[in-house]
Amino acid sequence: MGSETSLPKWASTPCIMGIDEAGRGPVLGPMVYGCLYCARSYQKTLATLNFADSKTLKEEKREELFENLKADESIGWSVDVIDPRELSAKMLKKNKVNLNEISHDSAIGLINRVLNMGILLTEVYLDTVGDADKYRIKLSERFPSIKFVVAKKADSLYPVVSGASIVAKVTRDRALREWVLEETSENMHGSFGSGYPGDPETKAWLAHHKHSVFGFPTLVRFSWGTCTSYYKDMVEVLWESDKVDEDVGYGSSGKQLKLSNVGFGKAAKRKIEEIESSGKGRCKFFHSRKLEQLTHF
Amino acid sequence: MEEEKGTTGSINLSLNGREEKINLSGQVHHLPCCIKFNGPCNVSQYFKPKLKGMEIDGLAVEEAHFRGRKLQGTTISLPNGYAGFVLVKNNSGKRKAYDVSEGNSNDWEMKAKFDKLTYWNHDTPPSKDDPFLRSFHWFTVAEALHKQVKAEDLATINAALT
Repeated sequence: MGSETSLPKWASTPCIMGIDEAGRGPVLGPMVYGCLYCARSYQKTLATLNFADSKTLKEEKREELFENLKADESIGWSVDVIDPRELSAKMLKKNKVNLNEISHDSAIGLINRVLNMGILLTEVYLDTVGDADKYRIKLSERFPSIKFVVAKKADSLYPVVSGASIVAKVTRDRALREWVLEETSENMHGSFGSGYPGDPETKAWLAHHKHSVFGFPTLVRFSWGTCTSYYKDMVEVLWESDKVDEDVGYGSSGKQLKLSNVGFGKAAKRKIEEIESSGKGRCKFFHSRKLEQLTHF
Repeated sequence: MEEEKGTTGSINLSLNGREEKINLSGQVHHLPCCIKFNGPCNVSQYFKPKLKGMEIDGLAVEEAHFRGRKLQGTTISLPNGYAGFVLVKNNSGKRKAYDVSEGNSNDWEMKAKFDKLTYWNHDTPPSKDDPFLRSFHWFTVAEALHKQVKAEDLATINAALT
């Protein structure tokens, strides 16, 4: 998705780009990374386009600004929509990937995409994710020809990032509005509110859509701390990958699921044997095939 | 010598003409986790495996999600001569009093059968090195171990040893 048609003339002059995200905190729906780029010489005009931090704008205003920037031939944009299934799966992998890493990878992906299109990027502005300095160094090492500015509240400081925040926010809102639930159970509906854990509409939706065995529809980010309060009413599910309680650094907005919250921990070692046969103590043939001798069942 | 401890029981694979044979082929999933629940569940409404359109070791890779985890699996046919059964403990039948008191009533009844199943790995794509597939090797070994030994076979072995 984006404006990657034929390459405009200004693409070969030094260009600046802003990157911002929408939907990092919500417990459901995709997380969207958006970028907006233009020639450095267009920077002054960009400042007159009334782009502001997307959170301070009304939805209609955001939509209007998005349509304007799409029509503007001096501006390019692109988005990376990260499906909630992918967020959950990565954060619950055997080797867990935290939200900051997912965010960094998405931003890096966008920079690569724009560079590969042939845009001469010289400066990139981003909001900080984790430690600002470490993030800047990580990006600079990967893209030595680009000057990176990583700053808190970049979306209200730099118009090019404000523009990117509008691209991201409008894309996420539309994706959520048009979301088709994969699950085909009756009594499901799409009034999930903003998706933020504190939103009463979101809370009501979660309570209504929880399922004792399956948990939630795949729209929900299972790795979010918000979900754990619902897990105690659900059927317990034990995974081999939960053997080790890893202390991973997680994002500021969404707490990554910790096993102690789900009631594993002490009993984990014993319980792991309930997950699969091990063939432990038998000869190698059986051991490597996890074949256990069963005297009764 | 002490006798090995164990229980005896029976498995009834006949249907006694009471019910239609239920074939669960294509609906049996072996998950890499333990779900602490026994009972009916609207699986097909929530669990939506999709073919990935690629093959590993000749196995068609499928993808599905369960409780936020990405699962990769494949549907396999059970080896020739083997079948899968869903057994339910038979509580209605006539049980001997001492069986009940000692809690070792062990009579089972077949409720459904299947000749195909889908097994799933967490994160890793299916391959012929998966323990689940490799466990089928036992069938070949078992066959050799339990094959009737004919008199002439013994004679050849004896001849070779002397």
